[in-house]
Amino acid sequence: MKPIHLNLAARPYRDYRPVYAAVVVMSLVTAYLLLNNIETYYRYIRETKTTRAEIATIEGQTQVERNKREAAQQRLATLDLSRLDKQTKFVNARLAERAFSWSTLLDELESILADDVRLQSVSPRFQDDGTIILTMSFRSKSSDGMITTINRMNGDPQFRNPFPSQESFAEGTYSFDLVVQYIPVTMKKSEIVRTSARAKRKSGGRR
Amino acid sequence: MIWREKKTLLIILGLILLANTLFFFTYRVQYKSRLDALDERLETAKSQLEQARTARTQAERTFQGYRQVEKDVLLVFNEHFSTQTERLTMMIAEVKRLALASNLVPASYSFTQQGEKKIEGTRAGESLGAHEVGIRFNVSGSYQQVRRLINLLELSQQFVIINGIGLNAVDEGALSLSLDLKTLFRDETADTKNNRL
Repeated sequence: MKPIHLNLAARPYRDYRPVYAAVVVMSLVTAYLLLNNIETYYRYIRETKTTRAEIATIEGQTQVERNKREAAQQRLATLDLSRLDKQTKFVNARLAERAFSWSTLLDELESILADDVRLQSVSPRFQDDGTIILTMSFRSKSSDGMITTINRMNGDPQFRNPFPSQESFAEGTYSFDLVVQYIPVTMKKSEIVRTSARAKRKSGGRR
Repeated sequence: MIWREKKTLLIILGLILLANTLFFFTYRVQYKSRLDALDERLETAKSQLEQARTARTQAERTFQGYRQVEKDVLLVFNEHFSTQTERLTMMIAEVKRLALASNLVPASYSFTQQGEKKIEGTRAGESLGAHEVGIRFNVSGSYQQVRRLINLLELSQQFVIINGIGLNAVDEGALSLSLDLKTLFRDETADTKNNRL
């Protein structure tokens, strides 16, 4: 007798258990990760609140400082710096001329001039470095008056590089002109060194 | 077949899982490094603030420095140079008074006026805002008198510059002194109303 295989199912039979198992596992893992992530996020927000607020404050202050700097630069741009520089140099040069002590210079000259040498004229020329170029005319009764004067100037720290521009003899008197660099006593030693170094650099540059 | 039937559900679940996994590895696992990065950002912000503060201070100091120089120059122009109208007669009177105080009486004075002091290097020859006036005179007297006159001129409250001196022996003990003085006056047209040059 042949058995009867009756299939009374409305749909074809499917075993969905692996799918449901996968869905459950994925859901559980997702839920775990989600909770963990939410906790992480809030912890991060809570723990960094102070730092983030500090950063925001600092960045705000930085912007304020930058604005102030720009404002100062804009104000600076309104100044005619080139003209101011020239005026300052001009005023400083005039003040240096005014501050120049003729009495000290004459005292210095008195101490170095030989008895038979007389000063006839002196005119200063003020340099930017604070030194003064003196153009001087002398009269002497002896023929070595000029040499004595140059030697004595060489021995005096207030005078530098004395150089004759002319010497003549007439009516028993020798006349000579000297150009010499004069360093006022008020100039400090360090300034003299700097001046000397600058002069050396300049002369080196010319070579 | 069964997987294909539940495709939509599985894909959605997969995506949510993937997103959570990415977030987990980005934030949870690297939590410490993120905190460190934030601290680093704070330090960077602090150093940027310090730099900005230094730059601002420097800019303000530079401006104040130039402004002070401008004020000082203006002070010299207004107080020391002054204008010719305000100071010329006072200066001549002062020179005469000092000559008299030294017992030296010049026979004559000569006055010269030079044009405006120009700024070198400018095509238009822009004025510096001042001009020069020279006074020259000769006196005869002893060396002590000459030294006294020079000393008095140096100590004078007037802005007088001794430009050059000439000495000549007249006779025994007497000298002829030629004095070349100069002074400066501010141009009256210079704009000093707004405390600017």
